Amino acid sequence: MQQTFGRSINELSRIVAFTDRFFARESIDPEMRYIVDLCVEELFVNMVTYNTETTADIQLEMASLKHGVQVSLTDFDVDRFDPREIAPVNVDAPLEQRAPGGLGLYLVMKMADSIHYEYRDRTSKITFVAERR
Amino acid sequence: MFQIAHDDSGAIVLEGRLDAAQAPRAQAFLDEVTGPCVLDMGRLEYISSAGLGVLLRTHKRLIDGGGLKLVNVNRHIGDIFTFSGFDRLFEIELARDPPPLA
Repeated sequence: MQQTFGRSINELSRIVAFTDRFFARESIDPEMRYIVDLCVEELFVNMVTYNTETTADIQLEMASLKHGVQVSLTDFDVDRFDPREIAPVNVDAPLEQRAPGGLGLYLVMKMADSIHYEYRDRTSKITFVAERR
Repeated sequence: MFQIAHDDSGAIVLEGRLDAAQAPRAQAFLDEVTGPCVLDMGRLEYISSAGLGVLLRTHKRLIDGGGLKLVNVNRHIGDIFTFSGFDRLFEIELARDPPPLA
């Protein structure tokens, strides 16, 4: 199941509606919903925020697996950005050293069971798998 | 759908989904808070890193008076707080699990 979304944070409500339909159609365990929602939002918002050189829509695909869900986000006509290469966040730092920001992709790396990245012909595709626990 | 409002006890009640689209509204509301306060998250279904940023920014601003206390936190959001290290920055009370069905 796939759909494209405009490059706006206001598209998050349509993404949630799309995910609702996917989970209902494929009878996905609702316990997996939080991880899928979080990873999709963080990756989508990252693309919208940082890949500003394009106006192309972002494509979202979801597929059910035997033990989970596979989700891909594809961004067209953009520079390479592999989210697996981000600097780690020190979540043990005291309050005075913590600053808002930087947690989104860190949480994706922590919560997804696997992440795959492809970059070809200026097309950036991030795929993650969330497994039933 | 996201709602934020004071309840009769003076706590601030969060309801629905606090995502990147709703974070500016939550931040604007919490920017008006001038002292330590309790955030009741019993009806908050979801929070992303944008919402975490709102909590952290507000907590740091108010910390000299005691900061934010987060109560009725559901299990999924509690996991996010743990992964983020927020369980070491905030006073947090998890929601009680509902009783088993008879």
